[in-house]
Amino acid sequence: MKIRSKTITALVAAGLFGFGPKSIAAEESIAELKTLIQQLDQKIKVLERKQELDKDTASEKSKTAAVVRAGPGGFQLRSADTNFVLKIRGYVQADARFYPDDNSSGTKNDTFLLRRVRPIFEGTLYDRYDFRVMLDFPSGNTITANNNGLVQDAYLNARFFPEFQLQIGKFKEPVGLERLQSGANLLFIERSYPTQLLPNRDVGIQIQGDLFNNTLNYQIGAFNGVADGGSGDTDATNFDDEKDIAARLFATPFRNSDKDALRGLGFGIAGTFGDREGAPRGYVSAGQQSFFAYSGTVVADGQQWRVSPQAYYYWGPFGLVAEYAVSSLNLRNTANGRQQELTHTGWQVAASWFLTGEENSFKAVQPIKPFTVGGEGWGAWEVAARVSQLDIDDDAFTGAGPFASAATAASAATSYGFGVNWHLNRNVKFSLNYELTDFDGGTAPLLDKGEQALFLRAQVAF
Amino acid sequence: MKLSRIVLALTLSVASSAWAKDIKLLNVSYDPTRELYTEFNAAFAKHWKAKTGDNVTVEQSHGGSGKQARSVIDGLPADVVTLALAYDIDAIADKSRRLPADWQNKLPNNSAPYTSTINFLVRKGNPKGIKDWSDLVKPGVSVITPNPKTSGGARWNYLAAWGYALEKSGNDEAKAKEFVGKLFKNVPVLDSGARGSTTTFVQRGIGDVLLAWENEAFLAIKEFGADKFEIVTPSISILAEPTVTVVDKVAKKKGTEALALAYLEHLYSDEGQDLAGKHFYRPRSEKAVAKYAAQFPKLKLLSIDDSFGGWRAAQKKHFDDGGIFDDIYKP
Repeated sequence: MKIRSKTITALVAAGLFGFGPKSIAAEESIAELKTLIQQLDQKIKVLERKQELDKDTASEKSKTAAVVRAGPGGFQLRSADTNFVLKIRGYVQADARFYPDDNSSGTKNDTFLLRRVRPIFEGTLYDRYDFRVMLDFPSGNTITANNNGLVQDAYLNARFFPEFQLQIGKFKEPVGLERLQSGANLLFIERSYPTQLLPNRDVGIQIQGDLFNNTLNYQIGAFNGVADGGSGDTDATNFDDEKDIAARLFATPFRNSDKDALRGLGFGIAGTFGDREGAPRGYVSAGQQSFFAYSGTVVADGQQWRVSPQAYYYWGPFGLVAEYAVSSLNLRNTANGRQQELTHTGWQVAASWFLTGEENSFKAVQPIKPFTVGGEGWGAWEVAARVSQLDIDDDAFTGAGPFASAATAASAATSYGFGVNWHLNRNVKFSLNYELTDFDGGTAPLLDKGEQALFLRAQVAF
Repeated sequence: MKLSRIVLALTLSVASSAWAKDIKLLNVSYDPTRELYTEFNAAFAKHWKAKTGDNVTVEQSHGGSGKQARSVIDGLPADVVTLALAYDIDAIADKSRRLPADWQNKLPNNSAPYTSTINFLVRKGNPKGIKDWSDLVKPGVSVITPNPKTSGGARWNYLAAWGYALEKSGNDEAKAKEFVGKLFKNVPVLDSGARGSTTTFVQRGIGDVLLAWENEAFLAIKEFGADKFEIVTPSISILAEPTVTVVDKVAKKKGTEALALAYLEHLYSDEGQDLAGKHFYRPRSEKAVAKYAAQFPKLKLLSIDDSFGGWRAAQKKHFDDGGIFDDIYKP
């Protein structure tokens, strides 16, 4: 470096030959040295600042990178702007069913089964187009020929506005309150009687939205139409050319209120209207045993309507669900040509209480202290009681050419259920249910003696 | 005062506080407005409380103006934006459609409640003898300015330099390009926003001159002392018009439309204008202009519309990808 060597030479010369410290050459050299140091100082500072800015840029870039998340809510991949999201979720329910008053001629065998095995893929595209695909691989499912698997949900929901959304595909018809609750969040292991009178999933198109600051939810849709409690599989035959109209209004007027005692109140009404053809479905007891089946010659033939008022109330650890359903269906006995409209009704009232103080909810519950082996947490403990009834129209058994056998079918079933749910954490739950059912009518051993059912469930949901 | 009146007054007071709403606004702004909006937000909250009884909390977000606009386009839920230049708000209107294209007509003075300009901040004693734009292209002069791609202030800096070069060269664009190219060769580091450049110059001690917003230069002197820095006013600069607007769709969704509009309108009030002047922005109202007249030196100011054909044309020609800036600045 030229400047540096010149400077050193001048300094040495000043020292060796005895020139004074303030000699001109030395002063010039010192000035050059100062300039040099200033230049170097600037270069170092610029490099340091650039390094600092590079770090800031890297940090900013990380904010725009896609995010991978894993947690109690499942596994998620989302773009930094949250416009694109893919969630991988699912739940598995392994059940045990015992019938304490086992009667070989009238009761099902005690059994273990996989009630639901449901992987779920759901997400969002371009911020407002939601999709969901839920498959199911349970034990003994015979809906799809030669295959135990089926598509439960497969739909697109376009959220144009919160108040106006368009959902297309296969999903739950907007009718039964208990039916609309996720299978993973049910209070009892099996749903109650009114749910059996109302449709399950179907293929169709639905307009829905939340109004008045999310205090009123509406849904109205057109569907292929399914029998009571039935589900329209994607490969099932559509029996008729007609479509069902299903609609629901549900209000939660105090959801934004600061009054704790009112915030968890919700009530509404739902119904369907359409034509039905094909074989009607029977009904099962709380223990999932058939107690009413139509004669083999009976077919649905004509108009069907259903109405279901419904409500829930949650306050602190307390929860109450009440639902009523009416299903009115035109039937024809092909053996004798008799045609008649039958009207069946069902209702349920279910109450629950969290002994461990959690906030009760229609949705999943988060234990205050999740269970840990050897730790302080015991998870959430919930006790529940339910009364439910299904009443078959008496005309089903009377007159010439009855629609069902008065010997093998009951005209009503009333079940009293008690349950305990142990939510170890948000993902794992064990349930124990005992249900006692009385039947009206029928002489078959099950109907005559009544039913006791003890169900257990281990569930993992994420 | 009788006991019954005291009880009544207390009851009314408790009742009114029980009904008071707590409302939050998000103001997404550019880099050097932190201090202005910190004080303005508190003043507005007090004003709104007195007017309606509601409690308003205004959250602030600051950064390079272009970068902030990008964030709003990408979904940052701003109730209002108060950015360095109209083009950044145009970009939000164009790309996100969260506000109408004619947003600039909604408030007085083209939605620019205050103005500013660009001047030079140099180290005490002005060791490099910098007096005008022509001194910035001399060899050995280190110039600090942020990146025009991300900073609104930097775009004003660039255009002020361009305007000066055009004036001096008799509107010779080639000479202006050469001039601005030379200037950027003297820039050792590009920050993403004006506040970052101030940090580079003032706190990191880099460079001989900072091309600064007028308010930012005054603030540096106020904070760090007149014994360290001084302001040099060039012969020509540019009339910078930072603009403000309500992000309609976000505010509508959040139910804050009326409040957001009132917030921006308050910038035009006596109190808002006085605070603008206090924080070294050039106010619009005659009263505030008179009060702060001595604070702001008089100089020739170029207009973005007259000299550059408006922001959309200036952006396309100079700063869009493939524009003149990309041509003259190769990092």
